Amino acid sequence: MVRSMRQTFGEAVYKIAKNNPRIYVVNADLKSSLFLNKFARRYPKRFIECGVAEQNAAGVAAGLAKTGKTVFLTSFACFSPAINWAAIKQSIAYNKADVKIVGSHAGLMSGELGATHQMLEDVALMRTMPNMEVVAPIDAIETEKAVRVLANSRKPAYLRLVRPATLTWFPRKLSVVIGKSEVLKRGKKMTILGYGPILGMVWDKVKDKDIELINCSSIKPLDEETILKSVKKTKNCLVIEDHQKNGGVGEAIASLILRKGVKCKFKHWGVEDKFGESSRDYNELWKKYILVKSL
Amino acid sequence: MIKMWNKFRKHPLEKVSKELRLDLLEMIYAAGGGHIGGSLSSLDLMVAVYMGKAFDFKKDHFVLSAGHLAGALYVVLARLGYFPRSELKNYSGLGSRLQGHVSIDVPGVEYSSGSLGQGLSFASGLALGDKKRTVVCLTSDGEHQEGQIWEAAMLASKYKLGNLINIVDVNNYQIDGSTDEIMPLGKLGQKYISFGWTVKNVDGHNFWQLTKVLKKAKNDEYPTCILARTIFGKGVSFMQYDWRYHDVKKLEERLYLRAKEEIKNG
Repeated sequence: MVRSMRQTFGEAVYKIAKNNPRIYVVNADLKSSLFLNKFARRYPKRFIECGVAEQNAAGVAAGLAKTGKTVFLTSFACFSPAINWAAIKQSIAYNKADVKIVGSHAGLMSGELGATHQMLEDVALMRTMPNMEVVAPIDAIETEKAVRVLANSRKPAYLRLVRPATLTWFPRKLSVVIGKSEVLKRGKKMTILGYGPILGMVWDKVKDKDIELINCSSIKPLDEETILKSVKKTKNCLVIEDHQKNGGVGEAIASLILRKGVKCKFKHWGVEDKFGESSRDYNELWKKYILVKSL
Repeated sequence: MIKMWNKFRKHPLEKVSKELRLDLLEMIYAAGGGHIGGSLSSLDLMVAVYMGKAFDFKKDHFVLSAGHLAGALYVVLARLGYFPRSELKNYSGLGSRLQGHVSIDVPGVEYSSGSLGQGLSFASGLALGDKKRTVVCLTSDGEHQEGQIWEAAMLASKYKLGNLINIVDVNNYQIDGSTDEIMPLGKLGQKYISFGWTVKNVDGHNFWQLTKVLKKAKNDEYPTCILARTIFGKGVSFMQYDWRYHDVKKLEERLYLRAKEEIKNG
């Protein structure tokens, strides 16, 4: 089934808000894109529209949070956390405000919008920030679960979403626990790690092979235990991400492997210090920039 | 008649202000440095806010947007018993909760800051979420060069945040020189008016004016901007109007003693 992560997000927040009066949305002129029209109509007092001003939106969200609200700060990843990173650092993370930064349109998947709207640095920006949890769901099902978990965590967090609707690949019951990774498929010859819908594409290619597939949707904190256990077993590791290699999760995992002295092969597929470009089909972009060869 | 007499009579807060000015000087001297110029210019504003009886900070909110003015806020909070006065000597030292830039680890502080231009947004968020209470934000004039201030000014007007007060410490100086030289701010009052705010001009060292304006601003239906004209380095002749005292690195003992004398006799 094909479902949109951002639509699921908008619907999930609407549903949660019904029984949780703490939930507020602070938006920067992208309510339609994040499917928040229904929320804005039903809860006008809990929907704060800041206009195209992401820095202010981050500060307003933090102030609201300090009055006891749980605030979803919604925009595209290329604006929030990109434009307002310093405001997020000081007003949200350093001040420990209960704000969930929701960045849609992450990765090359923004397709025809081109380089300015393909956010390939957000994971690097957010995983280096203290007090910040980072979650990148693999599909719409996991997005809904993540929204529910984050709505109750009372801590700052970043939720990474993508633009197109994607297949909900996994028949299994995905659970979202911050700090836990889920083994989607067992195997012995290789461990493939990643996050977001690009992992779904990998699933299709490896389903009949002796390869272990791990969904690292909880990017920070990273589930070191599950990752190490698998890598020690397969001695062969590949990290795939729709993000710059620089600062990406691949680097976090490489550092983990080195620190723990695990001997294994290591490969990292991601964007190699480049800006993206327009394409109507994001699969073409993945082929061109992430070098998805045959597995 | 009484109003006229007030102009010549000393306001009771002037004595407090003088004592806190000495605390501030001593604290920065003991620490070996700190942001003294702006702290001396904004101290009276914080004294008026906290001790002028217009607000109750058990419920109302104070946001220090210009986090480098931490020293002035710390001496006020210590005086009010939020933490022991003896702790002031630890200011900016390793392990101390009195961080060089203001921090929520200090009892009584609601917002950690240091990166300029962000506090008015945070204060607007508080004002939206706690409509029954007043939110007082203190910004510097220099930080009005940050675009985010104007983003917040738009929002406060859109949401008619009558419970929001922004006091601007207009001391005309910033780290590298005068605001006129670095980046002229134009007519701040007119800018705020055009953004839909109520604007008041006051002498930032006159407690009669300050307390009166604060009480009025509290009941305004629009957000209020109080432009408080202050003297950079107020109370110490050789620091006044000298931007090099934005952040003093090592205050010589000779100068410290002179400053102390001047404040005492001021």
